[in-house]
Amino acid sequence: MQVLIEMKDIIKVFPPNVVAVDQVSTDFRKGEIHAIVGENGAGKSTLMKVLYGLEQFNHGDILFQGQPVRFQDPGEAIAHGIGMVHQEILLIPQYTVWENIVLGAEPVNFLGVIDRQQARKLVQQKVDEFQFNLKIDDKVDDISVAAAQKVEILKLLYRNVSVLILDEPTAVLTPQEIPQLFNELRRLRDHGHTILFISHHLEEVLALSDRITVMRKGKKIATVQSSETTKENLAQMMVGRTVLFQSLREKSIPGAETFVVKDLTYIDGTLHKRLEQINFRICEGEIVGIAGVEGNGQFELVNSIMGLNKITQGQIKVTGIDITQAEILDRRRFISFVSQNRGKMGAAVHASILENVMMTHHRLNPHFTKWNGLLLNDNYARQFTHQIEEQFSVVMDRMDNPFRSLSGGNQQKVILGRELLLDTPFVLLDQPTRGLDVGSIEYVHELILKMKEQKRAILLISADLEELFRIADRILVLHRGMIVADLPTEKTDIEQVGYLMLEGKENDAKETN
Amino acid sequence: MNIITGLINGMISGATPILLAALGGTFTFYAGIFNIAMEGMMLGGAFFAVLGSYYFDSWLIGIICAILGSLLMAAIFIFFAVTLKTDEFVTGIALNLFALGATTYMLRQIFNVKGAFSNPGIVPIPRIHIPFVSQIPIVGEILSGQNLIVYITVLIVMISAFLIFRTRFGLRLRAAGYNAPSLDSSGVSSAKIRTWSLIICGILCGLAGAFLSLGYVTLFSENMSAGRGWISLAAVILVNGNPWGIALISLLFGFTDGLGLLLQQYMPSQFTSMVPYVATLIALYFYSIQARKRKT
Repeated sequence: MQVLIEMKDIIKVFPPNVVAVDQVSTDFRKGEIHAIVGENGAGKSTLMKVLYGLEQFNHGDILFQGQPVRFQDPGEAIAHGIGMVHQEILLIPQYTVWENIVLGAEPVNFLGVIDRQQARKLVQQKVDEFQFNLKIDDKVDDISVAAAQKVEILKLLYRNVSVLILDEPTAVLTPQEIPQLFNELRRLRDHGHTILFISHHLEEVLALSDRITVMRKGKKIATVQSSETTKENLAQMMVGRTVLFQSLREKSIPGAETFVVKDLTYIDGTLHKRLEQINFRICEGEIVGIAGVEGNGQFELVNSIMGLNKITQGQIKVTGIDITQAEILDRRRFISFVSQNRGKMGAAVHASILENVMMTHHRLNPHFTKWNGLLLNDNYARQFTHQIEEQFSVVMDRMDNPFRSLSGGNQQKVILGRELLLDTPFVLLDQPTRGLDVGSIEYVHELILKMKEQKRAILLISADLEELFRIADRILVLHRGMIVADLPTEKTDIEQVGYLMLEGKENDAKETN
Repeated sequence: MNIITGLINGMISGATPILLAALGGTFTFYAGIFNIAMEGMMLGGAFFAVLGSYYFDSWLIGIICAILGSLLMAAIFIFFAVTLKTDEFVTGIALNLFALGATTYMLRQIFNVKGAFSNPGIVPIPRIHIPFVSQIPIVGEILSGQNLIVYITVLIVMISAFLIFRTRFGLRLRAAGYNAPSLDSSGVSSAKIRTWSLIICGILCGLAGAFLSLGYVTLFSENMSAGRGWISLAAVILVNGNPWGIALISLLFGFTDGLGLLLQQYMPSQFTSMVPYVATLIALYFYSIQARKRKT
């Protein structure tokens, strides 16, 4: 296949001294889907931004069709036929699909009047050519995220782009929408387009791409054919050491009963029964996982346990103490809580790291305040933050920097650190590894297992079945607000749990054990 | 009959400066700028209109000076709010205060008067008498004999609506307000579009100022814009920037303005001067009720 773009010894330094891309050489061929994988901060996005003219490189050459190029801005890149779809959708919700697509390159009559007929015709042609399932007169506000992403892609195709760079396009899609996007991308490739695809989802990458370039800490590790590699292989290259995609469970003898939910029912404000007769117990030193398709009551269960909604019926007990009617702050004396929404419930992203670390502790631990709780004890808080930094190997610049300046993995480490140091008997983890890269996920799993050793009772809610199978002792399946199965992990398999999640009952045909 | 035509003519001349400033404001509104500087731009325009008209003995040069004076204000706004990215609200307040102080100062320094400068040497903008139409009873008295700026304003309403909703410039203008990063990523600089919207706003506010000091009356007095820029802002926000809606609201304000003048015969002028502002509050009240209805 013909080489279309060649990047030679590219170096990109962010002042003062962060080398984001370090002497990377790679090539992209005409008509291939080429994935660029790496952990967060590996430099894959920066490399693509350099190609697209969003960032200027400090050293090296980019050859496009054999000619050296250096795009000053994305406009030049687009004029050469290279376009990029960013992670966040950048469309105008008030405009129709076709208006969004033509914006910036509108067909006009005399006096600059938009030729609506011509514009709609051109857009419709592109929609038909690539068989995108889109209605061009729909308002972007009314269409799904997946459709909006298609509009972004069409916007580039309308500008006759032949190279498409996609920055983690699946991050905003639901699992059902991903195969459709992949089919469309394959169709584009078959039309002769080149697709560069940034991702850290190894399964997706293997399913979609022809070749894969792996990056780690700014350096290129290798470019491989997808057909000649495996997930384990890629993960090892990405992380730099062997990553085990296997069970970390250890045999353990559960101790005393720590956390009990009895007959919990929750009917919400619209009189829908969200949770019905939930019963389960977690012993000390036990990890119980909750599996379920999103929207089957996980959110309501978490809120009920935390006291964020008032349950209709039932009882919640921690170490024998009834907390059903307790205030949230009082519950926090018994419960460590990691929310699935890091940016909203888990942390105040604009506040400093220090302030985020203090939260909750400053109400429960008298060391954090002086003058009878009137003033915060800054010294103690700093000492404590430092302890979290050390103990949880958080990479941070200054603890006074805003929380959002941390990378996703480090944010999660800070939150985990804060919560685990509350030293409570019960730990509630709601999707603790969502959005993290392979290395960080491994770290979080190790932490969870360490808590288990410390004899805490752990409830782990996860959409990732592999995660549950890796660390949970028992898996409860939540289906339409009811627990339909309580399975010891060693006596079940992913297929069975998957079936229960979808159908809410055992697969009768397969009942052979 | 005289009262009615008088009231309607009062409404038209009261509405014209508000309408012009509001049309200027609607361009910046769509471009996503919180522009409250119409008041200052209008006041600057009014002062320079008198200056140009008086020294060059020409209402045309008066209008040109008004536009240039108002554009100077717009240029300051562009420099701070667009180039240096200072807060638009603070910049607007500073500009309005600057316009008030500067025109008052120049009034005293250049014309050596306090309060107001009026002189037979100031050439007003002429009224246009349309042949035949002016012969028609009643209607003729309204359609004909209005100030030149009034006719220009009608034209500008139509051009604005066309420009904003039909042209490439309009599509980009609204895009800058709805989602500027999207416009930038489409290869069009949103800062450039915003600059253009402020230039248009400057021109229209200049015309509004010229009408105030060379049409509505023929004099310049301290703070003669008297809150019309703020009312124009209210008009823009009330109808979400639609030029036709702005025209309607401006006529309503113009009517209360004329009504105020009429009522002066019957009650103290301090009360009648309140009418436009009271009307603004009432309009806001009805607007909020409407908005609440739309939500539910």
